Parts: sequence; C-alpha cells; structure tokens
Amino acid sequence: MTKRAVSILIILTMVLSIAGCGTKEEAGAETINVGAIFNLTGGQASIDEPSYNGFKLAADEINAAGGINGKMINVVSYDGKTEQTTVASNVKKMIDVDKCVVISGLSDSNYALAAGNVAQEKGIPFITSGATLPTLPDQVGDFAFLAPFGDDIQAYAAAEYAIDELGVTKAYMLIDQSMEFTKTLAFFFEERFVEKGGEIVLKDNYMNKDPDFSAQIDRFLANQNGAEILFISGVPDDAGVVVKQFRDKGVTLPVISGDGFDTPLLIEVAGPAAEDTYVATHTSLENTDEKVQNFVKAYNDAYGRAPENAFAALGYDAMYLIADALGRATDVTDPTAIRDAIAQTKGLEVVTGVITYEDGSHVPNKSVTINKVEGGKFVFQKEVSMSN
Amino acid sequence: MKLKDSNIFRLILFVLIPLAVIIYAGLDSGGYYAGLINLVGINIILVASLNLVNGFSGMFSMGHAAFMAIGAYTSATLTLNAAQKATYMPGLPEWLMNLVLPFPLALLAGGIFAAIVAILIGFPVLRFKGHYLSVATIGLIVIVRAVLDNEDQLTNGARGVTGLPPYASTWIIFTIVILVLYLLHRLINSAYGRGLIAMRDDYVAAQTLGVNLTTKKLSAFCISAFIAGVGGGLWGHMQSVISGKFFYIDYSFKIVQTSIIGGMSSLSGSVVGSILMTYIPEFLAPLENGLRIFGTRLPELYGISNIILSSFLIVLIIFRRQGIMGYSEIITESIFSLKTYKSVFDKSEYRIFMESLKGSIKSIGSIPTRISVWISNKKRKKKGE
Repeated sequence: MTKRAVSILIILTMVLSIAGCGTKEEAGAETINVGAIFNLTGGQASIDEPSYNGFKLAADEINAAGGINGKMINVVSYDGKTEQTTVASNVKKMIDVDKCVVISGLSDSNYALAAGNVAQEKGIPFITSGATLPTLPDQVGDFAFLAPFGDDIQAYAAAEYAIDELGVTKAYMLIDQSMEFTKTLAFFFEERFVEKGGEIVLKDNYMNKDPDFSAQIDRFLANQNGAEILFISGVPDDAGVVVKQFRDKGVTLPVISGDGFDTPLLIEVAGPAAEDTYVATHTSLENTDEKVQNFVKAYNDAYGRAPENAFAALGYDAMYLIADALGRATDVTDPTAIRDAIAQTKGLEVVTGVITYEDGSHVPNKSVTINKVEGGKFVFQKEVSMSN
Repeated sequence: MKLKDSNIFRLILFVLIPLAVIIYAGLDSGGYYAGLINLVGINIILVASLNLVNGFSGMFSMGHAAFMAIGAYTSATLTLNAAQKATYMPGLPEWLMNLVLPFPLALLAGGIFAAIVAILIGFPVLRFKGHYLSVATIGLIVIVRAVLDNEDQLTNGARGVTGLPPYASTWIIFTIVILVLYLLHRLINSAYGRGLIAMRDDYVAAQTLGVNLTTKKLSAFCISAFIAGVGGGLWGHMQSVISGKFFYIDYSFKIVQTSIIGGMSSLSGSVVGSILMTYIPEFLAPLENGLRIFGTRLPELYGISNIILSSFLIVLIIFRRQGIMGYSEIITESIFSLKTYKSVFDKSEYRIFMESLKGSIKSIGSIPTRISVWISNKKRKKKGE
C-alpha cells in the first residue's frame, strides 16, 4: 500500500513538473517585464504587502495612461517568503525565465542585498523600494539603487528639526542594540546633533522586544542633566511600549525617532501617552499636497482601504521611478541603458518627495517628513530637505 | 523480478539521469534552473548530515543552522580579499587580514571550526535526551545569531557580509555531495554505524554490548557538524551574501522538515527529500502569482505553497511516519555498488531489465482494473458486515 502511495506521489510530481513547464507568461514584444520581489508572507509581510499593492497600483495607472511610449508594463511578481534563498532564486528566475529588464521591491536591507547581488551579477538594475541602508549601492555595485532616502538622511533631519524647530540642545538617547537599523540611525543622529552644537547628556541601551524599560527610565530620572528631548532609536513593535512607560513614570519631554516609529502601533499601544512624539519618515499621508492625496484616493479606490503606512507610497513611487527611467532610456530592452537612465533621474516628483540621484550617488537626496502625534493621530509638521 | 531490483534500471535512474542533470547544470552555470539544482545538492549535504544525528543515532538536533553559519562565516573570512575584509571585518588580526585560502581549504576550515564548536557544545548538551537536546540545540542557534549580530568588528553585525566570491559551482557542490554520501554510507554500514543504530534502538542494550555512548554521541554530532559547516560554506559562496538572520531557527526547521519528509533514517531519504522540498515550491509558484488557465487568470494566492507543503507534511506524518524512503537505502546502495556498473557488460542484466520493464508497464496498465477490484472488494466487505 505504502509503495503504491509512493509511486503515485512520484507520478504526481512528474505530472506537476510537466504542468509547471507549460505555464510561461505570454510576454509579447509590446510589453516590458518589470520584476517585483516582495516578502508577501513571513515576518516582513506587514510592510512589504502595502508596498507591493502600491507598486501594482502604479503599474496599472501607467498602463491605463498608455504605458511607456506605447509599450505596456507587465509586472512579474514573486513572493520572497522572508527568506534570503527564496528571494535570491526568485530574482534569478525573473531575469532568466521571465526576462525582466528591471527589478524592484523589498523593505529590508538584508533581503535587498541578496536580491541586489543576483541582479548585479546578471547586469540588471535593481531598485529597492523600501530598504534604507545608505551603503547598499556601494556594497552591491553600480546596478543597485535606493528609492527611499538612506538612514543617515532621516537621522540628520530628526537632529536638525530638534535643534532648529524645537529649539532643544540637550538630548537623551535610548538605542535598540539588536538591530543594524537602530544602531545606524542613532549614530547619525548623534553626529549631526553634536555638530549643530547640541549635547548628548545620557545614552542608554535596550534590546528589541524587551518588555520592561524601568531600569533605563530610573537611570534617566536619576541623571537627567537637563535633557530636553528623548531620542529613541527603535522599531515598530517597541515604539508604543517604550513611550508609554516613560510617560507613566512622569517624563513629559518630547520624544523623537525615525521611520521605525511610523506605525499605527505607536498610537494604539501608548494611547494618549504617545502625544508629543515626533517621527522622521518618508511621507505623511495627511500631507495636503496634491500628489499625496491623489495617491491615498487611488489606493482607497483600488483596495478599499487607506494605505497602511508609508511603505505603500514607497512601492508606488518605485514603479513611477522605473517608468520615468524607462521613458527616457534609449533602449528599453537594454538593462544598461535603463540603469543609465535611472542614474540620471532628476527632480522626479513622487508621493514621498522629489527623487534626484546626484553626483553619481545611487541614494536619492529626498526630503524627510516630520510628523507629530497630536490628538491620537500623526499630524504633518514639516518637510525637511536635506543636504548631506 | 521487480523493476527496482534490476541493476540496469538502477544505473539509469540513480546514476545516468542524475549525471545528465548535473552536467546540464554545470554547463548552464548561473542559470535559474541550474541554481535550483545546486540548491538541491547543498540541501542533500545538509540533510544527509542531519540524518546521521537525528535518524541514525537517535538524538534530535535542531542546531544545524548554527553550524552552517559557523562554516559560512569561516569560509567567507578565508576567501574574501584584504580590501573586502578591511570593510567588513576590520577587527580581524593582522595575519588573518591578508590570508586568502583556496576555496576547498576554506571549506575544510569552516567544517573543522564547526566541528570544534560541536565538541565544545556537545559535552554539556549531549547529556540531554530527546526533546531536551532539541531545545538546547535551538539555544545554540540563538547564541550564534547573537554573536554574529553583535561582533561588528568581525562579522559586520546584522548588515551581513556581501560579495563572497561565487566559487560554489555545480561541479564542486556535487563532488562534495558524492563524497559526503559515500562517507556516510560507509560509516553507517561499518561497525561504528551499527553501534550508532544500536544506541538509537536501545541504548541500555547497546551499552551492555560495549558501545561507548558518550564517544558515539559526541563523534556523530561532531561529524554531522563538520559536514553542516562545509554545507554552510557552500551555501554562502552560492548566495554570495550571508548574515546571521538567515542561519536562524526557521532555516533549521526547514532542514529538519526536509529530513522528515525524505526519511530520517535513510541517506537516500535525504536525496529524495531535498529534491521534493526544492522543487515542490517551484511547481506551486504559478499558483501563487495568478496562474493563467485557458486565458483566465486565477487570483493571486501568496502563501498557498506554504499551506500545501505543511498539509503535505501533516499527511505524511500521519500515514508514513518514517518518511518517503523509510529505511530503504536504494539510492546510495545503487550508486556505491560495483554491481550497478558491472551490469552494463552483463547480457542477462539487459534481459532482466526488459522483462521487469514489461512487467511494470503491465502493472501500470492494470491500475484501473486493480482500483475497481479494490473498490468492489471494499463494497462487498461493507455489505457483508
């Protein structure tokens, strides 16, 4: 009986393999295949899925408006499953099997590095829609681009906003030591804050998912040294918890952080305690700018809900960045020409700001949005244009 | 005579076809499908070495990802050039900075380093039995991850190391696959291996018969870790980027899952499991991103392949707990037995092959009748009761 089961299984596999071979995308000469690699399942799904939705939405809009010089965009997408191997092999598949000429996606540098390396090896441009590691293009090579700003820019923006707009000079820093993103963010914040004449009065550490911050808070209360602002370098799951615990112990100073705090969790978990928290992030969906509002409306129409977070806008923008480059490229079937066109992107106005690749850099010089929690929501404060 | 007992059939199915596939992959290096075949090879190395511990020795380790990580980082340290090391690993001592070894030596070093860690960990951990050991080995993964993420000066922290030279070609991978399978095949069929199996089946009886449990356990764990370290090194040089995140619990689970599906107590199981677990997601992928059937496009169902795979695992555990191959070693026995190769020169072997082939074709043709007989038998039984 079991033997028969095995043989049936083997036959089934063979049948499936034949079926698998037969399902090729019918890509005509009139379409441009654009690869979309996102982690649609697994730990990254909560930020990659909105990103992917935004990406598809933009492609549909571009096609509805006549495509790229008459050619339609065909989005070829695969799930990276939040696994490096799957990401790498699916990027390979997009290039070898589906003949994609440009690839985009991913919101975490670790996966973007894997995808970028494969694309670099094959000479296909790769634009990460959401990963913010500023050194990514240096690590991967000349076919890799960032669509968002790098971590350094958002940290600089936070530091300058604190000094210039909030008028504070003494900061307390609390850093999640378990992640690269939070460490980098803190490093650049301190650099700019001190450069602009500020002073770090106390630095403390924690680890991602620590449930209790009372040791750090007590240490802070004992050595305040006149701190005027709390810079907390953390990621979404800690954001609400840490702010709430500080407020519960009577700390009313303003809090400032990067895009890791741009999460509904901050307000849901901390409630009224989240008030007076500043977040440096990619965009504000409340921004009255026409581009932003049009995007929010289009997303709402397409998916029946408002964009979940700024990553939806980042995915949307990545597609427009690609479309812009494809429109200018001398030959849309030549990846090198497309890469050169991307590198020459200048003054492209998108939802999350203006994208320009300056001086051969593959990290755009984009504006940073500062949001503030007021009355239980993120309220747009200021768009800061940064120069390195 | 059954078809699977025919030496010619074995030669074709287990030697010639795989060889053709490997040669195809080796010539089309860098292609997507070749990449998948390389991945199968690496999975075989990892799963076969895990089977030595989990299947043949009766321990249950989940720590394979940790040994892979050690192997991968060691081999990366030894193959990157000085400029890359200055960027990623500024904290290395001077002599290591400028040391660049050939790939096979670097792999070997990765394996040895993994084995050393296995010995250090093995002394305290292997006192545990059953699931306590599993938990302890999961702990090892967490420790390795923490070290990799926080030793910025040596590992570049959570950013990982990129730009590993792509040395892991199909030829190298499958040479190592054959070496590993041969080594394990001989090991398991030696007095040492029988001792392991005795220990698995009844450790008290084994001890009474003079099997030294501590050395047995420790050495099996150590050999397994060595091979996992080599596998990790290959993996790193195939992906060209490594970071602590990828040698974590979920990857370990995946190896364990592959091992269970193929058959934990069989080296052939590691081969079958690796092939299935690498290719099934591949066939299910069209389902995920909206399969086109007769011009209509199905909705996108991301995650469906995970659900199907998990259901498959559950069904397998219920109906065939010993895995697909069970205790059969047909693949390794065929590959490593001279009989298989000699059969080419033996006329009678061809006759046996043709006869058994005819028999099999007949039996496949009679499946519908057999099924109907089976159903009517069932009905009769029901009525009778």
